[in-house]
Amino acid sequence: MIPVLHLIALGLYAVGTAFVLAPFAGLRAAPRALTLAVPLLGMGAHVIGLARLTPFVGVAPTLSMLALFLVLLQVASEGLFRASAVGVFTGPLATGLVGLALLIGLTPEGLPSTARGPWSILHITVSVLGLAMLALAFIAAALYLLQFRELKARRFGQVFRLFPPLERLDQLNHLSLVLGFPTVTLGVLLGFGVRYAGGASVDAAQVVWGMLTWLVLGWAVGVRVVRHWAGRRAAFASIATFAAVLLVYVALKLAAPGTQRFL
Amino acid sequence: MSITVVGVNHRTAPLDVRERFAHGPREIPASLERVLAAGARGGVLLSTCNRTEFYLNDPDDSAPEAVWTLLSERLGGARRASEYGYTQRDREAVRHLYRVSAGLDSMILGETQIQGQVRDAWELSKAQAGPALHRLFQSALLVGARVRSETGLAAGAASAPSAAVAVAAKIFTHLAGRSALILGAGDMAELAATCLASEGVRVTLVANRTYERAKAIAEELRARALTLDEAWDHFADTDIVLCSTAAPHAVVTWDRVAPAVARRGGRPLCILDLAVPRDVDPAVAQLENVFLYDIDDLQAVAAQAAVQRRGDIPAAEHIVSEEVERFWAWYGGLAVVPVLKELRDQMERVRADEVARALHRMHLSPEDRAQLEHFSQALLNKFLHQPTVALKEAAGAGRGYGLLEALKRLFGLGPRDDA
Repeated sequence: MIPVLHLIALGLYAVGTAFVLAPFAGLRAAPRALTLAVPLLGMGAHVIGLARLTPFVGVAPTLSMLALFLVLLQVASEGLFRASAVGVFTGPLATGLVGLALLIGLTPEGLPSTARGPWSILHITVSVLGLAMLALAFIAAALYLLQFRELKARRFGQVFRLFPPLERLDQLNHLSLVLGFPTVTLGVLLGFGVRYAGGASVDAAQVVWGMLTWLVLGWAVGVRVVRHWAGRRAAFASIATFAAVLLVYVALKLAAPGTQRFL
Repeated sequence: MSITVVGVNHRTAPLDVRERFAHGPREIPASLERVLAAGARGGVLLSTCNRTEFYLNDPDDSAPEAVWTLLSERLGGARRASEYGYTQRDREAVRHLYRVSAGLDSMILGETQIQGQVRDAWELSKAQAGPALHRLFQSALLVGARVRSETGLAAGAASAPSAAVAVAAKIFTHLAGRSALILGAGDMAELAATCLASEGVRVTLVANRTYERAKAIAEELRARALTLDEAWDHFADTDIVLCSTAAPHAVVTWDRVAPAVARRGGRPLCILDLAVPRDVDPAVAQLENVFLYDIDDLQAVAAQAAVQRRGDIPAAEHIVSEEVERFWAWYGGLAVVPVLKELRDQMERVRADEVARALHRMHLSPEDRAQLEHFSQALLNKFLHQPTVALKEAAGAGRGYGLLEALKRLFGLGPRDDA
């Protein structure tokens, strides 16, 4: 049942992605209600699939949850900011992540059978949401830089027509960072709580990665909020932040490969 | 019974002729009254800067001549207005209005302003429109809305001033509340300023080489007048700059505006250079967060939108054709009722006359006379039943108009639409 629900979500995310990409291929844009409804339906199946997932251990469930939050943020960006171009990144990424999670196996054999406690699940959920917000900040920054380049170069093609205005992308980047930082902070605090109060096993690599994410995200928020960076400079800062978090994760994962643990 | 459009538009008449034909809202009722007096049962006058068109419900085909006479008077008698115009009837008249409402007949393909102008024309002529034109204009507005929502005919910015708005809208989240500075007194800048103002942009400053000219424009726009030298400092706080001076060389240079731009703190500045030769040194575009566009760029945006819009013409024409048939089915049904009544009345007169004549020759008892009356009535009903049913069915299916004309011709009924 869990893989079936994930497959349904995968299919609906793929259709939603096709709707987002269609105008870039010169096809007529789908009605806005449809571009919102299809991913939402996928999210419905996805949430049920994730809720039934026990034990919540390994890389696959985390990737699946990250995909869910990416789609949630995609729908929120479209609904609140009319930034459907966010889906150009989040659509294929979320679809790919769900596909990868299914390939890895959502409930692989040989995992410890002990279920995680609610605090541990909350820690994972909040941390992954924070990570998705960081990813959204990166996507908004990338879209900003692309639109900036087209506007500066006076090219009036697909990017000019279909991407949101520069200021809106800057606002989306700002909001993602400002909301992402407290979310990651809460995730880190819950991680410490789980480790020291709950007695659960937390690997050193997780602590290193969690702290690094918190620090670089804090820096990105600091330069935006305290030093009032905006526009291109803030976009570069967001991209550097996301790249650092991703590269350190890859490095740590290469040091301890395997799909049974997220880190 | 006929729907007719008589008028001129931007394709058939030059601007100086269209200007003479243009009707202000107060002139419309009197002109319509004059045309209706010539025999039309209803009329709507659509008058914009690009067209003056009388839509008439004109059973006798007598009103077009009255329209041409009325318009010719506005030419001063030297020329005939009909030389500049066209007359279309029935389906083609309906198709014409639907195409106008959809923006298919506009100078700028797909422009949306015409929809409001069609609505205004209908509102102004409501008292004189009559039921058929009332329904026609109602449906024309729906056709316009349908074309715009189901096709890309109104997508993008298809003129240089509207392209200026489109470009600015790709930089700023909302244009409402943004401030604009106008450099120079060119017509294009004024046009672009009008387009931006319709999106809520406030023209706060007007600068010109001569202060008096700047003051005159500033008063019109409720802005503050400046000399050119005073303007450079305001590049720090304005959002959009529209340049349209008559200077033979660039007046907006790096040296003049770089210090002010540096004080913007990363906020974008959109400079729209609408002058030929250009007012802004291209080096200014190298300044951080400055987005500079000249008239060629805006025309490129407009041309791109126009190409895209042209691609949607077949889809829009398909919708128009569909809606013309739908209207014509309704209109055909509307025309059937009075003709059937006239046919029945005529047949009833023949029957009554013939029965009276027969009764006069025969000496029948009252019972037999009643029998004969009843027999003739039944016979008439039987004769008329099949044509009535066939005509009503054809009208319901949108094919009633041809049959109706045949019936009128065969039985010599009412006025005929010979067109």
